[in-house]
Amino acid sequence: MSVAASIASGTLGGRVWFYSNYHCNLRCAYCLTESAPEVSRRELGKEEILARGREARELGFTAFGVTGGEPFILEYMPELVSGLGAELPTVVLSNGTAFNERRLREVEPLADLPVHVQISLDHPDPDENDEMRGPENFRKVVEAVPKLVERGIGVRIATTLEDPDAVDPEERERLCELHRSLGVPDEDHIVRPIINRGRAMTNEMGVLAGYEQLDPELTLTADGAFYSPFGPTVRGGRLDTDLLVSRTTSPLREPAEALLRIAESRPPGHDTSIGIN
Amino acid sequence: MTQAAASAPSLVPLVEADQAPILARPYFPAAGPASPLTASLAHVPEILEVALPFVGRVLGPTALDARTKEIVVLRTSALMECSYCVQTHTAAALDSGLARAQIEALRGEAGIEEAFAAAGERALIAWVDEVALGRGAVGEEVTVRAREAMGDPELVELTLVVGATLMLNRYCTALRLPTSAATLLRLAEEGLA
Ligand code: SF4
Repeated sequence: MSVAASIASGTLGGRVWFYSNYHCNLRCAYCLTESAPEVSRRELGKEEILARGREARELGFTAFGVTGGEPFILEYMPELVSGLGAELPTVVLSNGTAFNERRLREVEPLADLPVHVQISLDHPDPDENDEMRGPENFRKVVEAVPKLVERGIGVRIATTLEDPDAVDPEERERLCELHRSLGVPDEDHIVRPIINRGRAMTNEMGVLAGYEQLDPELTLTADGAFYSPFGPTVRGGRLDTDLLVSRTTSPLREPAEALLRIAESRPPGHDTSIGIN
Repeated sequence: MTQAAASAPSLVPLVEADQAPILARPYFPAAGPASPLTASLAHVPEILEVALPFVGRVLGPTALDARTKEIVVLRTSALMECSYCVQTHTAAALDSGLARAQIEALRGEAGIEEAFAAAGERALIAWVDEVALGRGAVGEEVTVRAREAMGDPELVELTLVVGATLMLNRYCTALRLPTSAATLLRLAEEGLA
């Protein structure tokens, strides 16, 4: 089956993910990539991402995702996302703390494109939110979200929890009231479990996720192509390779076809219930 | 790290089974450590899934018998001073039926003439020596002797076995891959360490 046909049939995820970089201004307790300000940037590069994006569209992929690290600490991110959004619908995962006035002006053109910025917000109480994600995170997020919404930019809120099913309904309602008050409707609020990889594994948090539980979504990083955006995790400073598909990322057809072979040979009975967006 | 005995660590980490990329997993054994060759190639799964079947096909069972192939591989590896391949293929050579004296001769520890009585096998070893160490085409005298003992398909295959072994010799030696603990134990028991 061709890549395009396998995307159409649902065998392969339609979104191509790009790990733009690995460094971050935060140091969250459950971070999959052990990101922090001092870690190596391992940027994929703007031109590389745009070139692979063009190939992806030709191959039949239907959407893009950008994650990291924190994408928006890269100077060129607004321009890069504009370029991707001009090709296909694009979601950028962000911690929402890098939107100063200059950055807000730079992202304004994204309002005219099929682009969503997916921002993390875990708890309606600042202290509890910031316990996992670092000081001032809550304040910066609740300031940034309405400013993005005002500018017409699509915003989603992503809530990452140890056990989404065990959340106190009252607390859940307060969180939903909060995101609604920031201008983000219920359909753009995503709740997902912490994945037991990276720093979450070190801190003994989250649910286990092997390739049986994950959707095959082609994910490109500076270290190669992976099976899922949950694949290129880092623990103890070492990149996990259990979900590595290939070191080759160009031409994109190569990792795409390798991923398709893997997807087609998955054992029966797999449960792909975990998604990143 | 794959369990293997070595005085100095390999120059690249050996990929453990729980870190084996999806396409490399079929090449990792269900129990016990993968070979250092597999565990190092797992860093680049798209190469591994081509290289290991290639090596397995060229060095494994074909129309040429296992004994002949082990003569070629062990001799080439000894000429290249690749301890990983010499040790690994000393064990394989024992399994293929080569006598202890023949193994020692192929390893350069005794004379070839004394250990190998058959003219055909001596011609084969002369061919291997010249393919492995030479720079130009194989010389006339060695070619004539080889042609008396072998047909074109055999010459082609043997030459490719030497070439594949040279590649592995440099790969394993350059990256300082450790011989597996099981092989070292076997060689110690056989007195061929
Ligand atoms: S989880 Fe996201 S925001 Fe937190 S440290 Fe990791 S990359 Fe940064």
